[in-house]
Amino acid sequence: MKGIPTVLITVSPEVSAQMRPPRALYPKGFKIGNSLGRPGMRDLQKKVLRDALELLNQNTRPGAAVTIEYPEYGEQYEPPHVKKLS
Amino acid sequence: MTISRKCVPFTPFERELSKSTIAIVTAGGVHLKDQEGFNIADELGDLTYREIPADVDSADLMVTHHHYDHRDADEDINVVFPIDVLRDLHAEGFIGGIAKKHIGYMGYTMQLKAMYEGTAREIANDIDKASRADAVVLTGG
Repeated sequence: MKGIPTVLITVSPEVSAQMRPPRALYPKGFKIGNSLGRPGMRDLQKKVLRDALELLNQNTRPGAAVTIEYPEYGEQYEPPHVKKLS
Repeated sequence: MTISRKCVPFTPFERELSKSTIAIVTAGGVHLKDQEGFNIADELGDLTYREIPADVDSADLMVTHHHYDHRDADEDINVVFPIDVLRDLHAEGFIGGIAKKHIGYMGYTMQLKAMYEGTAREIANDIDKASRADAVVLTGG
């Protein structure tokens, strides 16, 4: 089996971390269903995709997401949290 | 080959993005309107996936997924499946090409082992053999 380099764009970083993605971008405050931004915001979508692709060439920590803020997204949302077993 | 459950399966990327072909794999339930939708009636989820060609018109794509609000994706599929955005980055020379094949599946399942050991592996093989992608962008909902 040959490996394929991947980069994940996640809006649920805690949930995604459970699967230990090799590289991941968390666009901070984006809601579920808006991985690249809001509809029609092409410049923002391009920025997010560019940032994600650039992680392929950066020394990221495998298994952890890189958080980037995009103020132009507007209203921020709290990502879902993983329920911890007591 | 057995994948360790403990380590991160990291594949290095040692290319220039401007010379690299990129594929999209989304768990956001994206598929062509004329493809069969995902089975949202089955509480166990749907382990199948759909192939999306490189020359797809984004207006011909839709979402079948009942575990996230996809109204924004219905309006602009690029919020979960950025095919037009990828085309823009290609036109600008930021990436070298768009893969021949992209993948949509419904990232909700109660059959994690079958997803992990079956579907995920099939998608990886498909991407490896048929899409000629140098790297993959993964998105969820």
